[in-house]
Amino acid sequence: MPTKKPTDTKKNTQETAHHTIKKLEEENTQLHQEIIDKNDKYLRTLADFQNYQKRMEKELQAQKEDTKKKYLLELLDLTELLKKAYEDSDPKSGLKLILENLDKFLEKEGIIYIDCKGKPFNYQLHNAVSTIEQSECVDGTILDEIKKGYLVGEKLLRPARVIVAKKKP
Amino acid sequence: MSKIIGIDLGTTNSEAAYIEAGKPVVIKSVEGQPYFPSVVAFTKTGEMLVGEAAKRQAVTNTEGTVQRIKRKMGTNEKVNLRGKTYTPQQISAFILQKIKKDAEDFLGEKITDAVITVPAYFNDDQRQATKDAGAIAGFNVKRIINEPTAAALAYGLDKEGDQKIAVYDFGGGTLDVTIMEVGGGVFEVLSTSGDTQLGGSDMDRALVDYIAEEFKKRHGVDLRKEPKTLQRVLEAAETAKIELSSTLQTDINLPYIYVVTGEPKHLEVKLTRTKLEEIISPIVQRSEKPCRQALQDAKLKPQDIDHVVLVGGVTRMQMVQKKVEEIFKQKPKREVDPMECVAIGAAIQAGVLSGEIDKDIVLLDVTPLTLSIETLGGVATPLIDRNTTVPTRKSKVFSTAADNQTSVEINVLQGERPMAADNKSLGRFHLDGILPAPRGIPQIEVSFDIDVNGIMNVSAKDLGTGKEQSIRITGSTKLSDSEIERMRKEAKEHEDEDKKRKEKIEIRNTADSLVHSTEKTLEELKDKFSSDDKENLEKALKELREALTGDDTDKIKEKTDSLTQAFQKASATIYQQAAQHYQQQPGQDGAQGDAWQGHPSDDDSTINADYKVKGEKKKKKDEDTE
Repeated sequence: MPTKKPTDTKKNTQETAHHTIKKLEEENTQLHQEIIDKNDKYLRTLADFQNYQKRMEKELQAQKEDTKKKYLLELLDLTELLKKAYEDSDPKSGLKLILENLDKFLEKEGIIYIDCKGKPFNYQLHNAVSTIEQSECVDGTILDEIKKGYLVGEKLLRPARVIVAKKKP
Repeated sequence: MSKIIGIDLGTTNSEAAYIEAGKPVVIKSVEGQPYFPSVVAFTKTGEMLVGEAAKRQAVTNTEGTVQRIKRKMGTNEKVNLRGKTYTPQQISAFILQKIKKDAEDFLGEKITDAVITVPAYFNDDQRQATKDAGAIAGFNVKRIINEPTAAALAYGLDKEGDQKIAVYDFGGGTLDVTIMEVGGGVFEVLSTSGDTQLGGSDMDRALVDYIAEEFKKRHGVDLRKEPKTLQRVLEAAETAKIELSSTLQTDINLPYIYVVTGEPKHLEVKLTRTKLEEIISPIVQRSEKPCRQALQDAKLKPQDIDHVVLVGGVTRMQMVQKKVEEIFKQKPKREVDPMECVAIGAAIQAGVLSGEIDKDIVLLDVTPLTLSIETLGGVATPLIDRNTTVPTRKSKVFSTAADNQTSVEINVLQGERPMAADNKSLGRFHLDGILPAPRGIPQIEVSFDIDVNGIMNVSAKDLGTGKEQSIRITGSTKLSDSEIERMRKEAKEHEDEDKKRKEKIEIRNTADSLVHSTEKTLEELKDKFSSDDKENLEKALKELREALTGDDTDKIKEKTDSLTQAFQKASATIYQQAAQHYQQQPGQDGAQGDAWQGHPSDDDSTINADYKVKGEKKKKKDEDTE
């Protein structure tokens, strides 16, 4: 009796081991397949992303060209009108209208002129090209505008280039 | 692992870049520029400014502004700004802090690690000072690398085995020449030379002098004396310089530049490239000596150098490139933007450190040429464009070209030419068992699936019956470079002629479809057409049929147009009748749409007709809702 028991146990253990091995093997095959699938999915996503990047680059380029086209067309209209004005013996009234149209276009695009003469210097809007020392002045006042500055909406398109007063010590 | 950025901390400008998905990207500053001036200022009110804003106010606030601090790095000199003293490290730290903040805004994450570049001639003290500046700014400085090394990294020159590299860095204010040796990914500086008083601004000045002198000769006025006019001449000089790198001659026109005794004067100067080169020649000439010196110090001859790399905005000028070529006896590398290449190289070094650029990174293949299938008239219809990264899958639905067609042939093509016969056929197969139906009705989905190894699976599935056929094609991405080159070249050479041929086929296909749909419509609606319309249609149809037997494309086109017109006229009559009918019997919306379902949707005439139906319906609906 006592000799039989260990064999039983041995047999049982062997069976359990076999069972476990089989289960693990199945699991292993399954996991292996999962890795293959996941890897494939990963590579495809990566490739998709790279293709997306390429497409975005192309689209960005196309968008840039569209914008360029829009402004070029405006410029062409303007050029043609100016040519007509140039041939006109008295172009003043025509030029006035051309300028009005141009101003309207710029206004529509949100262009705002930075009015700066006589105002205090502000590094956010102005670019100081030089200073002039004076005894009678408010330090930091803009004396002259060398090049006009503009905003597009709230963003700075180009700072005004200015000459700033410096009080003589 | 968090991102590491690469920083080009320059004397006049600073810039940063990082690696995104394996590629270097330059970080834009808050002002939207790729780089900003290395200028720091404290205003009267104690506000600190860095970059563009600091530069703009520099002349009004000389006592509170500091520029070119890089030249003082590693010294014990202090800077006094509005009553407080700062070390060069502290000033540089303000610049680095701006970079850190801009990068964090740009990337939307916290940045703490950085690689910073320094000139190759920087000594230990100067390098330590740069590292300290980084630490003060809150960076964990992972590495300090040489600027020329970064430039070489931007060109991937570390991967090409043992090399000798010359880096010619000509910026706005200084010239640096470095000779390096690279082997096993390690760069060793052999020699450095340069001129700290030579730069692009000298060229601008020389050019402005020339333009101003020309004006003075004619009108006796010196435009340089007035800031207003000087500014305009400076800008014009800059524009002319850029223009002359692509053209041989340019006109500098500045209308209303000056008023001389009540009369407005315009500046009109013609400038040729030869003249420009004559003007800047003495400055370019001065860059030769440092190059010769560097070669001599490295004990090398020009022909010992494997690569020459260009850095700095001035190197965009052709004359400078020619000079470099003359000195080093080879064409210099200039594919990477010379203004960005140091920052990009620093980012690449950073990417290697962070593991973003891994040696084992997955490199995915791309399709070297476009993959298509042959469709009606021998046209190659693309499914996967060239240069698409694989693995990828694309599918498109096609239909039959003839009535009761029960089999389609899928001919898989590779190449850029629009006609199937001019491309390489990779394989072909048939899909049979399509149910007999009018042309254009069966739906056959063709899919191209290329796996990571470039093996392509092409399948065709009849969506009606579910029947499917497929083939495997190996090596769709593996072509020899010469073969790809040959096929692309051929496509380019034949571009115009191919386009014409394709157009010809398309005109023929359109005509063919129109004949087919007209026949069908005549049959279906024979009672609805007036006898006049019917006669016209039949006549036009006969003429088009005749034209199709010949090869005169213009004639086919003309006859297609007249048949389309006859068709439109006949349709209009029918719609008018239908509209009358509709008004008499409301509530039958959609009845007209159904009648069109039996028609192929792949020819122009039906698309047009279909569009019209939709348009009319829409109009009706709009009226209803109003």
